Amino acid sequence: MYPNRFEYFAPTSLQEALSLLSIYQDEAKLLAGGQSLLSLMKLRLANPKYLIDLGHIADLNYIRQNGDKIAIGAMTTYAQIKDSELLRKDCPLLVKTASVVGDVQVRNRGTIGGSLSHADPAADMPAAVLASGAELKAVHLNGERWIKAEEFFVTTFTTALAPNEILTEIRAPTLAGHKTIYLKAAPRPTDFAIVGIAACLRLGPNNRCEGIAMGVTGASDKAYRPQALEKALQGEKLDFYTIREAAARVTEGIEVNENIHASSGFRSHLAQVYTARAIQTAMNS
Amino acid sequence: MLKLDEILVTRNWVGKPVRRKEDIRLVKGEAAYVDDLNMDCYQAAILRSPYAHARISRIDLTKAGALKGVVAVLTGQEVARETKPISARAITRPATQYVMAADKVRYVGEPVAAVVAEDRYIAEDALDLIEVEYEPLKPVVTIEDALKPDAPLVFEEAGSNVLMHDKMQHGDIEQAYREADLTLKEKFKVHRYSSTPLEPWAIIANYERASDSFVVWSNDQQHGRSLTNVCNTLGIPIHKLRLIVPDIGGGFGIKLALWPYIVILSLLAKKVSKPVKWIQTRREHLLAGSHAPDANVEIELALKKDGRILGLRITDIQNDGSFVHTAGIYGLIKFATMVGCYGIKATRAELLSIVTNKAPTVQNRGVGKPTMIFALERMVDIAAKRLGLDPSEIRLRNFVKPDQMPHTTPSGEIYESGDYPECLRKALRLVGYEESKKKRDDGRKTGKYIGIGISSGVEPGTSNLGYYYTARGLPEYTGNAEGAIVGIDYDGNVNVILGSVDSGQGHATTTAQVVADMLGISPERVSTANTMDSLISPFLGHSGVYSNKFNDVDLGAVIMATKKVRDKMLKIASHMLGASVAELKLKDGKVCLAKNEEKSVSFREIASLAYKRILLLPEGVEPGLKEIAYYKNPIAKLPNREDFNIQLTHSNSVHVVVVEVDVETGTVNFLRYVIVHDCGNQINPGIVEGMVIGSTVHGIGASLLEEFVYNEEGQLLSTTFMDYLKPTAIGVPKFELGHMESACPYTLLGTKAVGEGGSLPSLAAIANAVEDALSPFGVKVTSLPITPEKVLRAVRETKEI
Ligand SMILES: Cc1cc2nc3c(=O)[nH]c(=O)nc-3n(C[C@H](O)[C@H](O)[C@H](O)COP(=O)(O)OP(=O)(O)OC[C@H]3O[C@@H](n4cnc5c(N)ncnc54)[C@H](O)[C@@H]3O)c2cc1C
Repeated sequence: MYPNRFEYFAPTSLQEALSLLSIYQDEAKLLAGGQSLLSLMKLRLANPKYLIDLGHIADLNYIRQNGDKIAIGAMTTYAQIKDSELLRKDCPLLVKTASVVGDVQVRNRGTIGGSLSHADPAADMPAAVLASGAELKAVHLNGERWIKAEEFFVTTFTTALAPNEILTEIRAPTLAGHKTIYLKAAPRPTDFAIVGIAACLRLGPNNRCEGIAMGVTGASDKAYRPQALEKALQGEKLDFYTIREAAARVTEGIEVNENIHASSGFRSHLAQVYTARAIQTAMNS
Repeated sequence: MLKLDEILVTRNWVGKPVRRKEDIRLVKGEAAYVDDLNMDCYQAAILRSPYAHARISRIDLTKAGALKGVVAVLTGQEVARETKPISARAITRPATQYVMAADKVRYVGEPVAAVVAEDRYIAEDALDLIEVEYEPLKPVVTIEDALKPDAPLVFEEAGSNVLMHDKMQHGDIEQAYREADLTLKEKFKVHRYSSTPLEPWAIIANYERASDSFVVWSNDQQHGRSLTNVCNTLGIPIHKLRLIVPDIGGGFGIKLALWPYIVILSLLAKKVSKPVKWIQTRREHLLAGSHAPDANVEIELALKKDGRILGLRITDIQNDGSFVHTAGIYGLIKFATMVGCYGIKATRAELLSIVTNKAPTVQNRGVGKPTMIFALERMVDIAAKRLGLDPSEIRLRNFVKPDQMPHTTPSGEIYESGDYPECLRKALRLVGYEESKKKRDDGRKTGKYIGIGISSGVEPGTSNLGYYYTARGLPEYTGNAEGAIVGIDYDGNVNVILGSVDSGQGHATTTAQVVADMLGISPERVSTANTMDSLISPFLGHSGVYSNKFNDVDLGAVIMATKKVRDKMLKIASHMLGASVAELKLKDGKVCLAKNEEKSVSFREIASLAYKRILLLPEGVEPGLKEIAYYKNPIAKLPNREDFNIQLTHSNSVHVVVVEVDVETGTVNFLRYVIVHDCGNQINPGIVEGMVIGSTVHGIGASLLEEFVYNEEGQLLSTTFMDYLKPTAIGVPKFELGHMESACPYTLLGTKAVGEGGSLPSLAAIANAVEDALSPFGVKVTSLPITPEKVLRAVRETKEI
């Protein structure tokens, strides 16, 4: 509970933050809401020598319409996402997901950028950005690039971000007309997911599945899109048995996690049950 | 014993849900816990063993000691040279353990060295520089491991990992078995869990060189005993240690055995020239603070076909981890109320305390009774099922009846009052038993798995401290008692100093209610110091806040001291008013003539004689208005294996729980949670309600969520609140409470225990409900916690949780 010694910087511009990052490289850590980083530092599991606080950079916290997409600044908190009218209307999946992250305190401090960059394999937000088909903007001193959500999560606590890059924006397509849901299995309502399932469906007449994107968290070393499952349902009429049958494929090709809260067998089972329930709940929403 | 009418002169406050005096201060963050004390301190950090079982072959603190800002270091070897080993209470085999490991570590987290530095950060940095070489030994983790014939020995000198093995028999058990129509036997397993008070252990120790003595500030829950333990271990006379207990941020028993760390801090303080502070971190607390032991309980009932229980046998095996001070006491306390609410006439108990390479165990809320009641109340349900009786019916047939009160159990425990059958009936009415059963049965037709669970429980309070005599010679303490000082100040307001310190119970509020009704004033005029200072406070070896003794002996002492002050005030007033004491009465902060209330003297006027115009005092009356009193529970028996009351008050309760189990995910959801509780007369029903709900939530945590998980190497895997899962406000059911008030004839106010209540029957109530819900699958619940994974596995494969 007593971190190692570190030096603290509070840059007021992105440029300044990027310069600091390029100077200190691996010895530095960016600080967003601190809801994961500070615990790790207190347990001395993370021991950065330099802490670069993104909290004083004004233009990283916003939610705004941008053509047919919605742009969310990396420093936007869960609470802001949860309360955003714009998102509620056009991208309710993010709202639903942000609402079930941790508790009030965590939602008030924790940021979407922090959550995605941290890439905790049991975090909620990664599942939602995967299912909503978002893109992530990575900025470095000499430029920027866009990374697809599917390519962003590499493995536990590892993303496609280079050490000199900062995630600045998440851009999600508006999903009006889609049916969306995020469901998580967790020991207590405030816990990380044992498994979490985000679903985004477009239904045609007779519940025919015209589009499907799912995000799975908690099951593996990273959040992922269950492609075999999506393929099995694409174009199909979504009835109870079709859904149940396809749900069995949610962990296909995946090495499923195991820890004191769930064995891999139980976790796979829950992933299937929650997948089926998520699709059914989304359809009925 | 004083009668209620002799104690209370008004009935304005006792029994009313008066708002807690403490809360504004606590909620505003104005409490003064150890860490808040404004002192210039060095800070200590403790190096802990990463191994469960290992020999320390080398330890080198040179680098740590050389770090800038480090002012002192201490190793286990030094501790072993400077101190006596930890005293054992219940175990009967020799086992030598020091407050810091010298040559062998016995659990992950055992202290092996300590560092004092200018601040905690430096101290923690220095820990990283300590070099220790360990030779790992094979760890003994489970009860089964420990009992293997070739098991490694945790204490070689003991010659066994069983440090206490006692057998006790009460009543004619052979006859019970002869007369029985059938016997039923089952094994239950309860896991390790505990309490996690918001404030962990906290100590500041200062060494005063000139007087060669120590002053220690600590949130110790049982300071009366700790004072002796610390001084004995340090080998110093009692007057060389002044112990001060400020506000305590939650206790639940977990702070009853932090005294070994006071020894460590005292040794550190002696090496430096400033006070030394150590605040336990949450990780330290979960890792090596204090668990309730895991246990295997085998239980056997000898029954008649009509459901009457004639005899009860238990074999209770406690995994007490590695802490010789408390090892064994769980078993001994538990056995006292092993018959629960039932009028069982014959019992046999075999109690084993096992030492393993797990963390120390300390008295956690309910001390073993949650485990005992879990096993017993599960067993009663199993018997009901076997005999085709409703779970409520088998209980009603066996409960001690109200006309049998006071009832003495086979081992000598005295159940003083209560109407156990009515308590159950009332709970069944509250839940709407018949409708609930119908809902359950209808649900099953549509794939909803609803279950109803009933559990009763006796909740003992006020420990008769000689209980470990039952295993080991004459104890150092017998009975239970507490002290109090009550004074009236110049203005006629009241100050109370207790021998114990509140850790959340509302002592200041309830004390004020009682004193107010004893003196005919309002509770605002009564203040209670929430601190104990061994130099000033009225304390005994029994002093502290544990085993629900407050309502009994602590308030007993307050009452006796207040009465002394009141008697003295009446004497002075009688002199001032020229009337006999019998003609006087107390009203609104005055003493007046009963027949002519106009003629009166105020407390302030009386105080002015007592403190200032002392020459006007009546002949033979000493100046001053401050009295000390000690009060001991009147029915405590002397230690005796044949006939002994281990606890001195007995509340009771019934929990009826309705759950729905999602058989696809294994999740248990509460539909109803009904509690009917009887703790005798209530001083403050608001506080009682808080206690009942809080302790029940504790039981819910134990049943469904909380577990200290160890792997085969003896590594604890749940060392943060991400892995050790406490129930939170979101997710607990809405509680429906009913109360009964069967006055206790042996406490001055007719009160009984209330702090542990809910944590006792809740485990079985929930387990019984889950088993009922899963009865279509034939699932039996014999272990805790009931996690979704275990539920699912039982439903699909094993049929057993
Ligand atoms: C009690 C509790 C309960 C929780 N429950 C949940 C839960 O149920 N579900 C869940 O998903 N999470 C949960 N969390 C974790 C929480 O969501 C964290 O907020 C989140 O993981 C990190 O976001 P942050 O803004 O706090 O980032 P920080 O902790 O400040 O940073 C996390 C990591 O991301 C890096 N980083 C931050 N911002 C950027 C950026 N813009 N670009 C590049 N790197 C960056 C940091 O350097 C750091 O390595 C819980 C946390 C707590 C304390």
